[in-house]
Amino acid sequence: MFKDTAPALELRGLTKRYDDGTLALENFDLEIPAGSFFGLLGPNGAGKTTLISAVCNLIRVSSGDVLVFGEPADTLIARSWIGLAEQDINLDRFLTVHETLVYHGGYFGMQGDEAEARADEMIDVFGLRSKRDVRAPRLSGGQRRRLLLARALMHRPRLVILDEPTAGVDFELRIELWRYIRRLHSEGTTILLTTHYLDEAEELCEEIGLIRGGRLIARDTAEGLRDHFGVDRLTDVYVKAMEVQA
Amino acid sequence: MSGATGLKWLSKRETLRVSKLWTQTILAPVISSLLFILVFGLSLGGRIKHIEGVDYSVFIVPGLITMAMVQAAYSNNASTIFQARFDRYVNDVLSAPMHPWQMTLGFNVGGIFRALAIGGSLAVLSVPLVGVPLERPFALVAMVALGLVLFSALGLVVGIYAEQWDHTTFIQNIVILPLAFVGGVFYSVSILPSPWHELSHVNPIFYLVNGLRFGFLGHSDVSIWLSLGVTAAFAIPAYLWAQYLFSSGKRLKP
Repeated sequence: MFKDTAPALELRGLTKRYDDGTLALENFDLEIPAGSFFGLLGPNGAGKTTLISAVCNLIRVSSGDVLVFGEPADTLIARSWIGLAEQDINLDRFLTVHETLVYHGGYFGMQGDEAEARADEMIDVFGLRSKRDVRAPRLSGGQRRRLLLARALMHRPRLVILDEPTAGVDFELRIELWRYIRRLHSEGTTILLTTHYLDEAEELCEEIGLIRGGRLIARDTAEGLRDHFGVDRLTDVYVKAMEVQA
Repeated sequence: MSGATGLKWLSKRETLRVSKLWTQTILAPVISSLLFILVFGLSLGGRIKHIEGVDYSVFIVPGLITMAMVQAAYSNNASTIFQARFDRYVNDVLSAPMHPWQMTLGFNVGGIFRALAIGGSLAVLSVPLVGVPLERPFALVAMVALGLVLFSALGLVVGIYAEQWDHTTFIQNIVILPLAFVGGVFYSVSILPSPWHELSHVNPIFYLVNGLRFGFLGHSDVSIWLSLGVTAAFAIPAYLWAQYLFSSGKRLKP
């Protein structure tokens, strides 16, 4: 287990306005404790992916600070602590499963032998042994999704960010991915999960944040949210929270 | 953590991409340039005996090598970064613990590697075919280095700005190829009448062709120092432009 005093993620006054004028995040504050499992729920366009992109240096932030375990997110050390599985399948079409993992490990500072050994370990964990030397475009949808997750975990990140990891996958794979994610969290990794599936958030997350229009509108445990909104189901919490803001 | 390991692996990835597709990335341009040497050099060589005291078949080799190398450096880097942006796996590099200068350098390596593989193969094959000499190796190395920095960086810049594949090929077909053809690959500009003679001197590829020709043959239409200076004057801003795009995130990050 990691013993951190600093939060895994701290956003202070984060604002992102895209070049076309769209305000995706406005003065956004969030703190996620180290070792926690945090879920972010919200409709399309709420700002979830923008938030993740800001943490992972994939957008130009307009203003505000992003700290990862107390270090600015754009420093090399902070970057090395983050593992990201994006919502879209973005695998390098020229690389095999094994190469995808080894090269990712290399980008994140792993030496050759270490990266080779870790890649083989991840290939076994994610059941990709028979596809080890197959290039990404030749994998099935489920295999690509598993490879994305394996790639995110390849360099042993302390903060794993999963952007709708089960979007568009069948029930069996969803359950399988849940199992991986739970095991990861039980080993002490902090997880930030965005999802559209309320049952997934309730099943996995210790704490849930509701986001809409680039603002955090509620944050609590699933039970706390139900109590706060005076309803029995998380679905009703979601509907009520989004109605209030609409 | 310095990002050095990341740079090493990014460079390896870029060279792996070239070597995995070697028939397309290396063999095809080598064959194409060899055909130019055979068809133009050996057939026209019967009619044009000498240019500046050199056999025509020998005279055109440096220019053809230049043309093949600059096209390879440009097209390789334009396509690798465009593909990475299009499929969004560039995010794997952009989020990695590497400095922007390491990303710029790493992405440049593929084009340089590919161009050197093509240029080296052509040079080696040209010796037994037409007997090309190597008079000024240091000048040749300096010119090749500057030329490859220029065109590999230009490829990156165009690949980053491009919104569709056509944009990268447009620059290659409408700008680079015509400039190479009128840059003295097949002739000495000293035989051109005014104003074509003077106009040739505003073409940057003219200086590159002549610099390489000086390296191989020991003489050219312009001073080697002018060739080095002009090529450097284009290469440095092109590389800094690519570096700026990675540092600022413009066009790479929304």
